Amino acid sequence: MTDKDSPPPTRPARKSAGRLGFITGGVRIRRNKEMVIGGAIILVFVIVALAVEVAALLHIQITPYNPIDPVGPPLAAPSLKYLFGTDQLGRDVFSRIITATPNGFSIGFAVVGIALLVGISVGCFAGFRGGLFDEALMRVTDIFFAIPALILAIAIVARLGPGIMTMTFALMVVWWPAYARLSRGETLKVAHQNYIEAAKTSGFGTFKIVIRHVIPNIFLTLVVYATLDLGTVVLVYSGLSYLGLSIPPPAPDWGYMVSNYQDYLISAPWLPVIPGLTIALAVVGFSVFGDGFRDSLEESSA
Amino acid sequence: MTGVRAILGPLFDDWLSSPISINNSEPNFRLVDIGRYIARRLLLAVFVLLGVLVITFVISHSFGDPIYAWLGKSAALHPNLVKLYVAKYHLDAPIYTQFYYYVVGLLQGNLGVSPSRGFTPVITVIEQTLPYTLQIAFFAIIMTLVMGVAFGILASFYHKKPLDAGIRGFYLAGYSSPPFFVGLVLLILLVYFLHWLPSGGAATITIQAPHPITGIPMLDSLIEGNFAYLQSALIHVILPSLTLAVTTFGVVTRILRSSVLDVMHSNFIRTARAKGVDERTVFLSHGLRNGLIPVVTVSSLVVTYLLTGTVFVENIFAYPGMGQYVVQALLASDYPGILATTLIFASLIVLTNLSADILYVVVDPQIRYS
Repeated sequence: MTDKDSPPPTRPARKSAGRLGFITGGVRIRRNKEMVIGGAIILVFVIVALAVEVAALLHIQITPYNPIDPVGPPLAAPSLKYLFGTDQLGRDVFSRIITATPNGFSIGFAVVGIALLVGISVGCFAGFRGGLFDEALMRVTDIFFAIPALILAIAIVARLGPGIMTMTFALMVVWWPAYARLSRGETLKVAHQNYIEAAKTSGFGTFKIVIRHVIPNIFLTLVVYATLDLGTVVLVYSGLSYLGLSIPPPAPDWGYMVSNYQDYLISAPWLPVIPGLTIALAVVGFSVFGDGFRDSLEESSA
Repeated sequence: MTGVRAILGPLFDDWLSSPISINNSEPNFRLVDIGRYIARRLLLAVFVLLGVLVITFVISHSFGDPIYAWLGKSAALHPNLVKLYVAKYHLDAPIYTQFYYYVVGLLQGNLGVSPSRGFTPVITVIEQTLPYTLQIAFFAIIMTLVMGVAFGILASFYHKKPLDAGIRGFYLAGYSSPPFFVGLVLLILLVYFLHWLPSGGAATITIQAPHPITGIPMLDSLIEGNFAYLQSALIHVILPSLTLAVTTFGVVTRILRSSVLDVMHSNFIRTARAKGVDERTVFLSHGLRNGLIPVVTVSSLVVTYLLTGTVFVENIFAYPGMGQYVVQALLASDYPGILATTLIFASLIVLTNLSADILYVVVDPQIRYS
């Protein structure tokens, strides 16, 4: 801390924080069953995603078969040899599912990360300064909330052409307003707290107050929302992928696999069901974890 | 309302607080205030619609060259066609003039022509497809509410019992699953395995369709007395709307459960219990009645989910609505079609938000004037 004349009583007395105290603003998070179950699911997916990314960098094949080339008879039922069976071209579905794991996750983290960054900067200043800027932000977010995220993303991707970069861009455009709105609401709640008033009286500028006192105190709420929201991004991404707007075909992707395999619903029902189940499981992981996270926060604040 | 807030997530703080901005503590709070409030909401809705127009305009006119979006590959082959389009859509004019023509065109019902439908005017395609989407949405909303409220009542009545946990698991799985996945699972179960329902379409093709009166086939067949068609149409709408309901009812169940539990902890419930009112009556006529109010606040979320879902279910179940149209338009790079569906979906959501805001003032006893 360089400023030696910084006023001491600008923050409320804190309960002892755990190891994550720097993120949680000093609030202790108690683990509950949901957090453990959801966290375990997320952890498995994240580990697989990271392993796939690392393996791709090192040019090692970690999946049992090559995910892009035919490796067996077409439409083989799930067996020990082909864990999830093979598709109409004889490609191993298990290898394809594993290879596609990083797609939705990396987009999810990128989109939510950028949305957090943009949302917090815009929302905090709007909430703290008020006035015309605040009013403008509220009306702009009103407009964004009127268009379903998936539809707006379709309109943007259709205009820019499919691909992972345009899709990430489209989702970012669609995603930040919710975070701006949320940050604004949370900022309004803390804006009249004593420690903010104290900081103002001490002559701190808006920027410094927002960075040092507002953001740390609203960050936890935003993180909780973001964990729940990661599942939503994965869900919307899988929808866009189902419509064929994501990675071009030879490379595997969960959503696209479902639409590609749904013609074999009668002869090989596991083909579309397995990738669909994988998406659902990933999203359930985020929903359950986020739910538990919020519950534990409610308990500790009550 | 802390519980409600917690469940909805902090995002909805603003949405929850916006309709209650009327100061009802004033003694002379009267109809005039409600009138003023509704007028303000209307004005806001118009503003939002205008904003939606700006967004769609920006996407269509300034993300790259609009001509190539509209004409696709034929643009390179027909330079004269390009000139024609530039002249017709004033693409050589300054951007604000273009926006003016865009809005004027929309107001005249001119949404362009749709390459994916043999260059039919988009407005005609919308007239053909929107009724089917409305049919699905109507039944999906009913099913969502029935399922959502029923499970919400059960979950709050059997709070912290196994049934509550089971329901929580069911709705978490429901709204975490992509609609296309739920649709396929229901298709396998109810159609291919149990043979209960037809696999797709809006009605059996061999049955004479009703003459258009209102434009909505089910309503027309009811007016005409064409009950064979009505029956077939009702059977065909079950699967798509059930799919949407399964992925959406959790939103309703969740808020209902938490708001009922919230109400059940309030003082007037304790008073009722102390007076010896039996638990069933307390739950139904006090807890549930007051707990239902916040359900109105999630209506816009429900409608957004349902409309988004139509894009998938209409394709899986070959239902000839706007969701199917937008995917066809997408595959054929038919930009006017995509833009028009975006506008219609946004307008539907703005309308629901408006009605929910107004309904909220009507149903919430705390806002009701004495």
